[in-house]
Amino acid sequence: MTQLAKDFRDKTAVCGVGLNISNGSGQSYLGHAAEAFKLALDDCGLKRDDVDGIICLSFGSDYDRFLEAVGLNVRYSFQGWSHGRFISPMLQLASMAVAMGMADTVAIVHGRQKKPYGKDENPEPWRQGLGPHGESPAYGAVSPVLGAALAAQRYFHMYGGCGDDLAPIALALRKHARLNPIAMRKAPMTREDYLNSRWICEPLRLFDCCQNNDGGACIIVTSAERARDMKKPPVYISGMQGVYAGPDLHNLSLPGLGVAQQKVYKYKPQPKDLYAYEMAGITHKDVDLLMTYDAFSPLVLFVLERFGFCGPGEALEFIKNGRIEIGGEIPVNTSGGLLSEGHVVGWNLFIEAIRQLRHECGERQVKDAEIAQYGCFLGESIIFRR
Amino acid sequence: MQKSIMSIDEATGRYLPFLYPEEMSYWNGLKENKVVLQRCNACGKAWFPIGPACMHCFSFDFKWDAMSGKGVLHNYVVYHKAWMPWMESRVPYAVIQVELDEGPRLTTNILDCPLAEVKIGMRMKAAYEQVNEKITLLQFRPDKG
Repeated sequence: MTQLAKDFRDKTAVCGVGLNISNGSGQSYLGHAAEAFKLALDDCGLKRDDVDGIICLSFGSDYDRFLEAVGLNVRYSFQGWSHGRFISPMLQLASMAVAMGMADTVAIVHGRQKKPYGKDENPEPWRQGLGPHGESPAYGAVSPVLGAALAAQRYFHMYGGCGDDLAPIALALRKHARLNPIAMRKAPMTREDYLNSRWICEPLRLFDCCQNNDGGACIIVTSAERARDMKKPPVYISGMQGVYAGPDLHNLSLPGLGVAQQKVYKYKPQPKDLYAYEMAGITHKDVDLLMTYDAFSPLVLFVLERFGFCGPGEALEFIKNGRIEIGGEIPVNTSGGLLSEGHVVGWNLFIEAIRQLRHECGERQVKDAEIAQYGCFLGESIIFRR
Repeated sequence: MQKSIMSIDEATGRYLPFLYPEEMSYWNGLKENKVVLQRCNACGKAWFPIGPACMHCFSFDFKWDAMSGKGVLHNYVVYHKAWMPWMESRVPYAVIQVELDEGPRLTTNILDCPLAEVKIGMRMKAAYEQVNEKITLLQFRPDKG
């Protein structure tokens, strides 16, 4: 670890968050983004012009149009590719920009509209090679669910189990969503409901897949020092690591499962795979709640093995008996996650981590939560501390 | 992101592959019922997807080479949801990944095999589906020897 990284720990913080989720409000991308920005400013007590950095993602309103619409000039801006795996790098970049003094206060802003992904308007699946989730449209290999279904099938082949064994994930997250006033999917779900939900891309069912919705999210990052003077308690950024990538990684898969050109082996994290813990000075045992990108339920299995919460092939057993529920050994996606709270590209997962560490989650509050991890199957992670 | 280009058959509504210029040896091979991929002149390995250099040793010295067309069913999923009208009469259908004996894994459908009999590990051989006069798609069917 570099000296800079040691000095970086807890020097930046999230000071404000704003989130709205709705089921097709008719609002534009830009409208959602502007509304979330306002909510986040109000959350921390800042004025628009206190923000001097902005980060946006593609597929939403572009950064320049957003800034024009809200009448803000900044000295730092960036726009990234709007896939769930790239939300961590965006937040990391905001934090680093603040630490380096390139901006005092950076707002990450995103708005999205309910739109079926993978339909005609999206050319991504025709990318040369295969699409970003392994798509190959001429074969009917479409929609992001493909990547997760391929990975789940290989997981079951290597370690045993079948689609039915994913039930505890959907059930736990629905249980969490029922404690979350803003969650989109709150109807009670029994194991029978889960098993009776229709196949989408076998071995995955409807209830293994998140749904699209409208939404907007904003996260404001500033220095720890400034954050301490704001309305809400700061949530410090303690450690982080990037999106691991290459032919041995595949979107929506765990390393070693053999999706597309991935090598086949039983993945177990090595010290170099756990840099965020080293940076934060913790191990997975110190994590009070885990937030993970759960567009599809198998991704919860993969993150548990990716960060060593359990060993290779043990996740199907690990998720049983309430272990990933609030009150369990390691509560996962306490808001209901993308599966039940809603899909705001994953920004809502960060926002839940922040709110849990501020202890403002009411019925779904993880008792005495001090450390929250956002971590995913591709290895990207951020460790938050109150 | 790299620019990608959608391709849809207007008469049938079927999604088609976009034929990128650097992939034409592959598409021309399929028209002759051969699986032609790149093979490295430095390390001897073949690879997929098609690219500018050997993904194993990063040599730019390669040739186009006919593969055996044989391999093993490495993975599969079964689509029950039709994402576009053309698929509605075809669900449920399988999407498979076949590992060629030469190493690369290819994503296709499976022909002449009931879904209940699709199993990881089964031997497969290449099949060729002529979609139109420009495009022949690689497919696989069980290799019963």
